[in-house]
Amino acid sequence: MTITVCHLYPDLLNLYGDRGNVTAFVQRCRWRDIQVRVKEINLGDRVQFEDCDFLFLGGGSDREQGLMAEDMMNRLDSLRAAVENGLAVLAICGGYQLLGQYYRLPDGTKVPGLGLMSHYTEAGDGRLIGNVIVDAELNGLKTRLVGFENHGGRTFLNDLTPLGRVAYGGGNNGVDQTEGARYKNVFCSYLHGPLLPKNPLLTDLLITLALRKKGQNHYLAALDDTFEQLANRAMIDKLLEKK
Amino acid sequence: MRLRLILAVIVARLAMTASRLTGRGRGSSLPGRLALRICPDILKYYRHQPRKGVLMVIGTNGKTTTSNMLTGILRRSGNKVVANWEGANLMTGIVTAFVRAGNVAGRIDSDYAVLEVDEAVFPLLAGWIKPDLVLITNFFRDQLDRYGELDTTITKVLAALKKFAGQETLVLNGDDPLVARLAVESGLPALFYGVLPAPELSGGASSSREAKFCPLCGTTLQYTVYIYSQLGDYLCPGCGFARPCPDLEASAVLEEQSGVRAMVRYGGGRRELAVPVRGLHNLYNALAALCASLALQVEPPTAFAALGEYLPATGRMEIFHYNNRPVLLNLVKNPAGFNRALAVLLGNQGDARQEVLLAINDNDADGRDISWLWDVDFEMLALRPEKFSRFICSGQRAEDMALRLKYAGLPVWMVDIEKDCRRAVEQVLHGEGENVSILTTYTALWPVEKILSRQAKRVNSRDDYRLPSVS
Repeated sequence: MTITVCHLYPDLLNLYGDRGNVTAFVQRCRWRDIQVRVKEINLGDRVQFEDCDFLFLGGGSDREQGLMAEDMMNRLDSLRAAVENGLAVLAICGGYQLLGQYYRLPDGTKVPGLGLMSHYTEAGDGRLIGNVIVDAELNGLKTRLVGFENHGGRTFLNDLTPLGRVAYGGGNNGVDQTEGARYKNVFCSYLHGPLLPKNPLLTDLLITLALRKKGQNHYLAALDDTFEQLANRAMIDKLLEKK
Repeated sequence: MRLRLILAVIVARLAMTASRLTGRGRGSSLPGRLALRICPDILKYYRHQPRKGVLMVIGTNGKTTTSNMLTGILRRSGNKVVANWEGANLMTGIVTAFVRAGNVAGRIDSDYAVLEVDEAVFPLLAGWIKPDLVLITNFFRDQLDRYGELDTTITKVLAALKKFAGQETLVLNGDDPLVARLAVESGLPALFYGVLPAPELSGGASSSREAKFCPLCGTTLQYTVYIYSQLGDYLCPGCGFARPCPDLEASAVLEEQSGVRAMVRYGGGRRELAVPVRGLHNLYNALAALCASLALQVEPPTAFAALGEYLPATGRMEIFHYNNRPVLLNLVKNPAGFNRALAVLLGNQGDARQEVLLAINDNDADGRDISWLWDVDFEMLALRPEKFSRFICSGQRAEDMALRLKYAGLPVWMVDIEKDCRRAVEQVLHGEGENVSILTTYTALWPVEKILSRQAKRVNSRDDYRLPSVS
């Protein structure tokens, strides 16, 4: 059995080290002897989302994000079906915005999103830039996610569940203390850093969900997460404990 | 108005003296900041004073080295040169350089001003001082939290160039499509330098490279050879944009432990170049300085000889000795530069195992967002673990660095965390590796260099580049 990871548009969306999310997912599978392969999907490539077990979608610069949105529109039905069937997805920043209803530009123009989820984004006054700490509950466990945000858009969730609540930083919109969003097995966040390496609980949850899609329901073997915990803890200490 | 100028100069010079006496800071930005506050248009008093011209060096990587090389060549051919201190490439540092070089009345006696200019500051500075020559080294992604996206930076540089009168000369790295495009788009006369794209130089494509798409029409660029990052032999099948035929080109490149050699072809002939600093990227810096100085009518033998005696600035592939072991000190600030430094470590010959210190800070000057570490190809280290004895991770983000190495596939027993820079330097000097490499981000460079220069002997650097900059 092999888990298939789809990395969407690595050529276009390669800002902020987000490919580290794919690296983290893949390594934590390999360290447990779980077979994994990565399919990189670029503009116009054929892809069957039903054959995919984990999908990663990052953010890019404005021009590149426009190209991505256009290409994704052509794959919308297949993606919607896969998401409704429980596909594990991680979408960061621009990828997160794209899954929602729309992005409203400063001049009022509405750029439509894929509409897979009910959130929407509006251009804000200035960018939210800086380290972020988020209190989240994953698989029944309380955890603190750490990362770095850098976004101009303000996202509002409508009835969606947030990924967590902001303990430090801006989050979705700098106002309502929410960060990210969840829907079925889709996880969205503004956090770069990248997100998964320093937040192994989330990585392992995504691996568990990918395995479950393959009909494998067993627990994951524990790994030595000393470095992961040190890196996560260092940021929490720096921002919260020493204030 | 003259009075404001004199007052500004006096205050700035007092600040310089004070910082020298107290030994605090390097005194390169505060004097300029004070002078600008008193006399905001101070630069207009200096702009026409260099007798032969004002030269600006911009680009993501190699600015300091290229400016120092160009300054060295011009001085050797008998010119007086005003230059800004290494790294002090914002408005404040540039004002400081002029104030320091001039007298109390703001008079300077110089043939050239060679200014290393931050690419984000260039449009503003060019509004005050029109350069006669602009040299552009390369464009790589760099500190997204500070500069924003690379596209934005290049667009702003282009907009500034378009305001030029038209007689200015561009000296451009023809191997970088993001730089070469500026000749097409600005319409200014340009000279190109480059490295002959021989297949044996091909470093392969880095996953973090820029310019996958033609900057002019958006079609996917085709490469026959990648030299490193997006530098190489490119062609756009869509609009025909391609690597220009260089006016000055290096071939037969040989990377050695002591530096780089190559055969250089230029307008009037061919000549062997030997640069005593390591790394292919430093060959590019030397070619840039050569190309600019030949355009300024410097005699080729003089220019080549000056480069042959070049000594690096602090933390630019600088070499120390400690207990008969070589210690390399190098600044890393973005993925392209970090990849070049790793390529140099992997290029070290023989069976000697290397002890490596990686010091990563996240102050404003380093970039507060360190996610760029995940765009560096550390995976290449994990392919050759036998070349290393240990990696010590230090600085404010030591844990993140260690985590990156772990996910790159290095065994965790090879990775240590020591947040304190002083102790980390001690450990790396006393480790079992037969040679030592220290790679640091900007704000970690100075404390590390201070500790190192007390303990180890500097081999290939001299203090000139840290001293006042008019000869």
